[in-house]
Amino acid sequence: MLKLIQNEWMKLWTKKGTWIMTLLLIVLVIGLMGLTKWINSQNTTEPTDWKANVQEQLKYTNEALQLDLPESERKQTEETIKILEYRLAHDIPPLAEDSRESLIINPVAIGSLVVLLTVIVAAGIVASEFSQGTIKMLLTRPVKRWKIMTSKYITVLLFGILLMFIGFIVTIACAYILFPAGGGQELKWDGNAVVSLSVWGHGLYMLILSFANVIITATFAFMIGSVFRSNGMAIGLSLFIFFTGNTIVLLLAKYEIVKYLVFTHMDLTVYENGYPFIEGMTITFSLTVLAVYLVIFLVISYMVFTKRDITA
Amino acid sequence: MDIKPIVELQNLTKVIGKKKIIDDVSLSLYPGQITGFLGPNGAGKTTTIRMMVGLMKRTSGEILIDGKPLSENFEEGLSKVGVIVENPEMYKFMSGYKNLVHFARMQKNITKERIDEVVRQVGLEQRINEKVSTYSLGMRQRLGLAQALLHRPKFLILDEPTNGLDPAGIREFRQYLRVIAETEGVSVFVSSHMLSEIELMCDRIAVIQNGRLVDIRDMSETAQSHYYLELSPAETAQSLLTSKGYAVESLPVGLVLQAEKNQIPSVIQLLTANRIEVFAVQPHRKTLEDQFLEITGGGQIAEAHTK
Repeated sequence: MLKLIQNEWMKLWTKKGTWIMTLLLIVLVIGLMGLTKWINSQNTTEPTDWKANVQEQLKYTNEALQLDLPESERKQTEETIKILEYRLAHDIPPLAEDSRESLIINPVAIGSLVVLLTVIVAAGIVASEFSQGTIKMLLTRPVKRWKIMTSKYITVLLFGILLMFIGFIVTIACAYILFPAGGGQELKWDGNAVVSLSVWGHGLYMLILSFANVIITATFAFMIGSVFRSNGMAIGLSLFIFFTGNTIVLLLAKYEIVKYLVFTHMDLTVYENGYPFIEGMTITFSLTVLAVYLVIFLVISYMVFTKRDITA
Repeated sequence: MDIKPIVELQNLTKVIGKKKIIDDVSLSLYPGQITGFLGPNGAGKTTTIRMMVGLMKRTSGEILIDGKPLSENFEEGLSKVGVIVENPEMYKFMSGYKNLVHFARMQKNITKERIDEVVRQVGLEQRINEKVSTYSLGMRQRLGLAQALLHRPKFLILDEPTNGLDPAGIREFRQYLRVIAETEGVSVFVSSHMLSEIELMCDRIAVIQNGRLVDIRDMSETAQSHYYLELSPAETAQSLLTSKGYAVESLPVGLVLQAEKNQIPSVIQLLTANRIEVFAVQPHRKTLEDQFLEITGGGQIAEAHTK
């Protein structure tokens, strides 16, 4: 199996396109960081006192609490209040917006970029064997088809992970070069008390959460690519889903079924950054739904691939 | 034959939709023998070959490789088989060498030295590190042969192997197949539409038509002696010779007679005695094409040639 993965890895990186994609990722991340820097430099407003800010925020949040909020939102608002009060009591400023820490702690843009690029690889890894005609060379070896399929899937995942890491490292490098270190501390309510968050740990955690999106979208592209043997169709459909997912969720938000749609759960970072789309969902539930979809996608891919007669 | 066959097809059948593409084909292939696989287009050559190499599933019947059913020992079975299915499509964006490394990794125990050895055997040393996209069709054929030979297969399946080779290349290829068949005891199964090619290369031919195996014969059997007679009136001569028990066939001009050399003088005497004018008598070699037409009933041969 290791040798098969080695083969797929070799084929992947002998293609120029792969290098171009990786380069593109690096350029885009640098570009995004540069853009952030530029926007920040345009904002030449006087540095405000963070305590005043926090107090104002606290006031708004307390007002919000008076409204008729659903249970989960109420809980979250209460947590926010606890954190804000803790800041004032212990004199801990929040992370400054233009500090390097605030960029490292929330690297979600990488996730979206990596989705786009990984989908291209996932869509092509099976489909291109068919379009090049090499599938008949590949499948006349003494290796069972499911092993070949597995090596290809693992290669896609490895590629995604690699891109995530490259993206993260470039982000860190840019953060250190372009942005000043800021004071402050990110805080979190852990259920019993307010605790401080490690910048690195939380950054990595966000990266992993956004990787769920990469996995599910890439697996979908992998399935379409192996069922329809068409590279373009797989890329097109996957990106369509990736971009229109949120809209579909909003359209169907009233109905129960939305809870079981894959789109609702693709972005797990909402559990850290804000409110989930749908009332009362937990990350465990989201992970379960994602896992079910993942298994369905993979079963379809494997079934079709191992049963198919190669006539091309 | 008491030698154990390397490959046996037993009542192999393939049904697609309602159509029987391959109908009850049984065939044994022996070590050291080159077997040609002939048939008009759409007769089922490629389908048969694809079932033998695991690209297509069979509907019923069994394929035994070295005595073991392929369906139960897929990996073990195929590790004894070298395949070129139609044009060898390699990874064009990689070098020839990387392509070979790729296929070597999918077999057990293939060393770097073995790869180099095969590259030398097919004469690609000069260009092996260049991208396959820069190769000519003939060079790709050589690379295709190289990947099929990497793991020293006991059984070699070739579908239209000489497609795109120049005459010298075809000749070299033919001799090469002979060598590995004779010295290494490899059993070779070649499908081709080039009948003259098959004739020069094979010990044995199997003819398939409409999914059925219609004939299997040794090439030595086909070396019967025939004579071409140009004479007039042909009809009288034909009925006369037939009545004397000779096998006669009429051509547009003249007749083809199946007879031994020592019978010819008496044939001529018989003809002249019956006032038939004989203009020419010459040995006639029946080509495989003639036989092929005989077996398949003709008609489709033009199609098979222009494939």
